[in-house]
Amino acid sequence: MIDNDRLIGIFAYRDCLQAALKVLREKGVDIQAVYSPVPLHEVEETLSAKPSSVRYFTLTGALLGIVAGIFLSVYTSLQWKFIVGGKPIVSYVPMVIVAFEFCILLAIVFNLLGMLINSRLPRFSIPTHYDTRFTGDRFGILVQCAESERETVAAILKKSGAEEVRHAT
Amino acid sequence: MKDLSYTDINQKVMSGMAPPGRVYLFFLASCFLGIVYGALCWAYQISTGMGVEGIKHPMVWGTYLINFVFWVGIAHSGTLISAILFLFRASWRTPIARSAEAMTVFAVATAGLFPFIHLGRVWIVYWILPYPNQRNLWPNFQSPLVFDVIAISTYLLVSALFWYTGLIPDLAVIRDNTRGIKHRVYKFFSLGWLGSHNQWRHHGAAYLFFAALATPLVISVHSVVSWDFALSIVPGWHSTIFAPYFVAGAIHSGLAMVITLLIPLRRIYRFENLITTRILENLAKTIILTSLIVSYSYGIEYFMAWYSGNMAERDTFIWRAIGNYAPQFWIMIICNSIVPLGFCFKKLRTNLVSLFIICLLVNLGMWFERYVIILSSIAHEFDPYSWGSVYRPTWVELGIMLGSFSLFFFFFLLFVKFLPAVSITEVKETLKTPARTP
Repeated sequence: MIDNDRLIGIFAYRDCLQAALKVLREKGVDIQAVYSPVPLHEVEETLSAKPSSVRYFTLTGALLGIVAGIFLSVYTSLQWKFIVGGKPIVSYVPMVIVAFEFCILLAIVFNLLGMLINSRLPRFSIPTHYDTRFTGDRFGILVQCAESERETVAAILKKSGAEEVRHAT
Repeated sequence: MKDLSYTDINQKVMSGMAPPGRVYLFFLASCFLGIVYGALCWAYQISTGMGVEGIKHPMVWGTYLINFVFWVGIAHSGTLISAILFLFRASWRTPIARSAEAMTVFAVATAGLFPFIHLGRVWIVYWILPYPNQRNLWPNFQSPLVFDVIAISTYLLVSALFWYTGLIPDLAVIRDNTRGIKHRVYKFFSLGWLGSHNQWRHHGAAYLFFAALATPLVISVHSVVSWDFALSIVPGWHSTIFAPYFVAGAIHSGLAMVITLLIPLRRIYRFENLITTRILENLAKTIILTSLIVSYSYGIEYFMAWYSGNMAERDTFIWRAIGNYAPQFWIMIICNSIVPLGFCFKKLRTNLVSLFIICLLVNLGMWFERYVIILSSIAHEFDPYSWGSVYRPTWVELGIMLGSFSLFFFFFLLFVKFLPAVSITEVKETLKTPARTP
């Protein structure tokens, strides 16, 4: 059995981070997370990340909202058959507005849920390897490697310009 | 701003959250007293009855509805800045987006109080919810008032969630720079945000959808509010132009309120290099556009009243300009159509004093716009009995109005002290990422 080890490299510069990521990818090292104070689109490209699946949640919410809005309008109209302005009991035109508002409402709620679920949030304990400078002006790469590869991976991180490389618990 | 580093941004924004001084506490206490006075007026109204208001037949809608429409309108520019300008990639909106979003949430929350106040027996408000009941009554989903309830509730929830989603990474910044109880509170509300690439990816996607969904929502909300009027047959209300007219008016008043709030904010917190004069100037230019749209709508209303050949409509509009509500009508025209044109001159839109004064006048003009639309129409209905009725708000209504303004500013003061008033992450995104090779 191979003992796995985790290392974290801390960088001051984006281009150094980017260089490290490229080499690590080429060597097939398991990159677990890249921390940054701002979203870095080039990191996503380097890691060939797929488009976020939040959109499926949003679409589901939007469709459910339309159905809920129409259902509520039709159901309540049939429960209380109240003729307004000589229009049919089940009038379709006003339903569009109710369906639209419910569509937006549920799409947003599902959108937020999608973001939270995919981002594994909320988490109420901060991992010990996390560095508070990641919300300041530093970038970080968390990698997992076999115990035997530890030195090589640490050397890649250092060579690419990491200010600090340490064991991540 | 381009010369600032990431650390500078963190420090600059967090400096606004330092322990408050006497001036801040004075304003906070004044707002609190205003809220207490408003709440006492409401309590008096509940204990005595609705007769304490100036709202009497045929003038059944007074300051409660005026303030409701006013506050919903104020909210709209927040969404314009945070969502619509985000979709258009207008990067200048970044430093003001957070305050504008906060303004949206507080304005909608304040607006939402007025229907409750107007209801009278507020403790049975749950009767309007759709649930099976022994009376076999259900809300009428064909009524614009029910559309309004759904639209405003959706808007409040969506704005609050949009605001919070944008705040999460910034709350993590504060968490990482504080200790003790403060650290624990921000840790809880930042939901354990780490800023990993996966979190940024999903956050970015969600934020884009928030903006994309909030955009049609904001247009629908004030359209729905306008249909509260336009779907009736009252001359002066029954008009197809109402929806776009109300949306433009909402953004007009909201932008003026944003500038009214930002000028003191940047001065007090020394945010001059974040909230630059260029940003305020861009907002002023947008006010010229909204002012022109609003003025066009005023003109078109008169044109349609004349060209339609509808006598009731024509008489209402003539009476609006020369009748009992003429002073308010001309305040509206001067403040909304003429005064904002001053922004065509660079000197006026780059001078903070003139910016502030013009924006205050626009706020006043937009409040009177709702006053004129609501009151001058019902005071000149088809029924001659209502002709020439004059509505005068009582001290109870004025007290509640004072309470609503105090509540809005109270929330805003708390916001600037406990939350980052400028979006740390979004501002950092506009800067060049630190690189060894430039």
